[in-house]
Amino acid sequence: MKVEKISNRQLLFILFMIQSTIILSTLPVFTTGNADQNAWIAAIMSTFGMVAIAAYIGGLSLKFPGLTVIEYSSLLLGKYAGAFFSFSFLWVFLHIAATDTRIYADLIGGQFLRETSFTFIITVMVVLSALAVYMGIETIGRAADALFPWFLLFVLLSLGVSLTGFDIQNLQPVLAQGWGPVLSSTASPIGFAAHVIALTMLIPALNKPEKGVTVGMQAMLAAGIILTMAAVLVPGVFGPQHGKYLRYPFFTMLKTVSPTQFFERFDVLSVLAWGFGLFIDVAVYLYCGSIGLSQLMGLRDNRPLIGPMAVIWVIVAVSSYDDIFDVLRLFQPHVLLPYVTTFLYLPFLLLWLVYLVRYFTGTLPAVPAKKGKERS
Amino acid sequence: MPFWRRLTQLFKKKKAPKSPDPPKSPDPEVLLDDELDISERENIERQLKLTGKLKDDLEVLKLMAGPSPDVVITELKAGRSEVPVALCRISALSDQQLVENIKHMLGWGMLEAPIPEKGAAALYEQFRTRLLTSSEVKEVQTSIDIWNALAHGNSAVLFDGVDKALICNTENVPVRSLKEPEGETLIRGPREGFIESLSTNIALLRKRIKTPNLWVEKVTLGHLSRTDVAIVYIKGLAHEELLAEVRQRVHRIEVDAVLESGYIEDLIQDQAYSILPLVIRTERVDRVASSLLEGRVAILTDNTPFALILPITLPMLFQAPDDYYEKVPIGIFFRWLRAGAFLLSILLPGVYVAILTFHDELMPAELLVRIIANRESVPFPVWFEVLMMEMVFELLREAGVRLPRAIGPAISIVGALVLGEAAIRAGLVSPAVVIIVALTAISSFTVPTFSFGIGARLYRFFFILLGSIFGLFGIQFGILSLLILLCSYRSFGYPYFAPLGPLIVSDMKDTLFKAPVWAMTTRPKLEGSREPERTPPGRQPRQVLDKEAKEQKWDLKKKSVKTEGAGAPPKRKGGRKPHESGENQ
Repeated sequence: MKVEKISNRQLLFILFMIQSTIILSTLPVFTTGNADQNAWIAAIMSTFGMVAIAAYIGGLSLKFPGLTVIEYSSLLLGKYAGAFFSFSFLWVFLHIAATDTRIYADLIGGQFLRETSFTFIITVMVVLSALAVYMGIETIGRAADALFPWFLLFVLLSLGVSLTGFDIQNLQPVLAQGWGPVLSSTASPIGFAAHVIALTMLIPALNKPEKGVTVGMQAMLAAGIILTMAAVLVPGVFGPQHGKYLRYPFFTMLKTVSPTQFFERFDVLSVLAWGFGLFIDVAVYLYCGSIGLSQLMGLRDNRPLIGPMAVIWVIVAVSSYDDIFDVLRLFQPHVLLPYVTTFLYLPFLLLWLVYLVRYFTGTLPAVPAKKGKERS
Repeated sequence: MPFWRRLTQLFKKKKAPKSPDPPKSPDPEVLLDDELDISERENIERQLKLTGKLKDDLEVLKLMAGPSPDVVITELKAGRSEVPVALCRISALSDQQLVENIKHMLGWGMLEAPIPEKGAAALYEQFRTRLLTSSEVKEVQTSIDIWNALAHGNSAVLFDGVDKALICNTENVPVRSLKEPEGETLIRGPREGFIESLSTNIALLRKRIKTPNLWVEKVTLGHLSRTDVAIVYIKGLAHEELLAEVRQRVHRIEVDAVLESGYIEDLIQDQAYSILPLVIRTERVDRVASSLLEGRVAILTDNTPFALILPITLPMLFQAPDDYYEKVPIGIFFRWLRAGAFLLSILLPGVYVAILTFHDELMPAELLVRIIANRESVPFPVWFEVLMMEMVFELLREAGVRLPRAIGPAISIVGALVLGEAAIRAGLVSPAVVIIVALTAISSFTVPTFSFGIGARLYRFFFILLGSIFGLFGIQFGILSLLILLCSYRSFGYPYFAPLGPLIVSDMKDTLFKAPVWAMTTRPKLEGSREPERTPPGRQPRQVLDKEAKEQKWDLKKKSVKTEGAGAPPKRKGGRKPHESGENQ
């Protein structure tokens, strides 16, 4: 099997783009939520939570160098129990990418291509991502390198442009409803830190895998800063109440502000940034899914699985939700956090517990050496 | 098996395998057979060895070349014992004066020289070691080697009774004079370009890079054309892995003819169907020299002025030699201008079609009203209008290249006036589309690498189609698919999209920016990593006013070292050498 490598910097860009895309793309729960004008406090607290989740999920990869979560699950829990939990992780890969694509397709279909079916938009994005996965993780890493400056530029420009409609009065009074709403608003961003699961599949492909978890934490921190900036700007422009009832508050915010006479539609910038981010997002999860499934099935090459999996990705993205409000319902704090906990955080808790027990009892399995031809 | 038999077998002498009989030289008369195909003829010609009988050997040469009038064979008698000798050459390729000199030495020279004559072999040896004044002499033993030498303009001397021939360098292949490459003109920079002679082209490179480490490996490609190809690199700077890869790919070539470097390009590049060039072809000597100094490899081909540079990266295609000869800010400005123009040339028509077809709300109302008003009488949809004008432009461009120069301006007039002006008046296209197409055309010609500009033009049609079907979403799809393609490409194993993907920050000094020469301290990270330092840091010019520096000047004068002017490096505090300090002032 050909062993491909990406640099730690590329992983940082990938994780940052994945996490920021979903933060910015929609979700009142991410930007204003129940915290109203105190959304920025919730965002800062969520950032710490996201960083901690990165350490929690990625930590085991350091204990099993060179192995993906699929491989070390079987090693720790045994063949069948490991496979059971691996399916849970594969489902997370599938569902995250499908949900992100659906949100993007709804935005494009609703705002720009009103007569185009969102199934078609989803298909196009998944096909594009499948092409990138077919070329390999090195290609995805390089694409992330090339897209990151543009992504950051568009995001910062979008944030900068919205400053023209910003009113500090909208952020006052601070903590008027106490800490309760602020704390409850952190649930969804922490739930969506599940995106960091890509780390468990990408760390073995890193040039310096020992620093992979640090990179994951840095990416979450950087995405948290973007989240905080958005959480300051959206209520600051719309006011605390109006912002949380919008479908795409960040996008709507850019549509409403008009800092120049000639260039008026700055929302195109954010849509471009989301497009770039979503492409990396879907490509990475498709890669993770195909690699994971190929390891589970004992295949030497993941490429024969990419085509069939892309079809499943499209089907799940189209049929999982009736409409965008269905997606938004999933993101309610009382739905998302238990859902992610069941499929991701609890299995990882179990893996950690088994690891610790076997560590202290001295029954840790040896990590098998991998064979493969490395590319420069 | 009984013990004694085993014992005898242990000491039994193994019979040496019979050496195969040496292949018999085929009968040259077979070449008279008209039924022989070229591969059969070549196979026989390869096996024909010199017999030592002059008459027979000359007969073989005549049979090989047929009735070709340019093959001249002069028969002479050499020395006092009048040994029959022959001088063979191709008249149009050899220097008449040098040939006459050899003839003179064979005739009068050998008569007058006080050399003992003990048969033809001794005469041959005396002639080779004492009399021959030719700059380059070598011995060959087969008829095909003689012919290969003749085809390069050399002359062959055959002695009766000697089964070897002497090849003397009398090369005088007609070549044109050096000229500035028409396709890569510069305002500032050397005017020399490569020509169709390989030896001249190598000499032009040697003139610029005088180190003995400029190595040239010669290969002959094409079993019919027998074209000389040279792999040029700087030993110790180019990676050995890269060289091994290049050698491997070049030596694998098996074709009948190599008439231009494009043949080799096709045979060695990583992606056969790539629209974008994965190696640079250039006529500019300075461009090749600068690439060699970065650790890259050049392939020069005889009979073509186009050299190949490899491996390359996409940003190299935007670099023009002027960037390095002009002031730094001007170089940076033009480099950005070219990159912007390139994006404009592939995206502008597609974006225009997408916005007018799907997203008219993105355009300022005043501008939109004006464009729509102008389009009122146009009976075609926007995409067809743009596509039609783009095709007309491509037709004009292609016709302009093929037409004789005297008619070229006429075509420009037809294109600009008749098609542009008349099409608008007839209401077939709107003025906005003419402006878009003109802007796109101008932009596409700003790319310094012609083959890249041509390829990029094809992408424009792809974006027009995407824009007309999917709007800006389609344009984004196109950009991302192009990006995937670029990120997946490799040029001889090196990532094609570097230093943008993978991101190499240290190489940005010569990609997005063009740092001054003193700041270009390192070579490209991937290709030049074998010897990364190009110039020690801290070599920027500065005015020396401090006392310490004046003392340094005095000291040096006492040692009678001439340091007036720019040659003297400034003394550094702490006494460390500039490259040891690592600081960049």
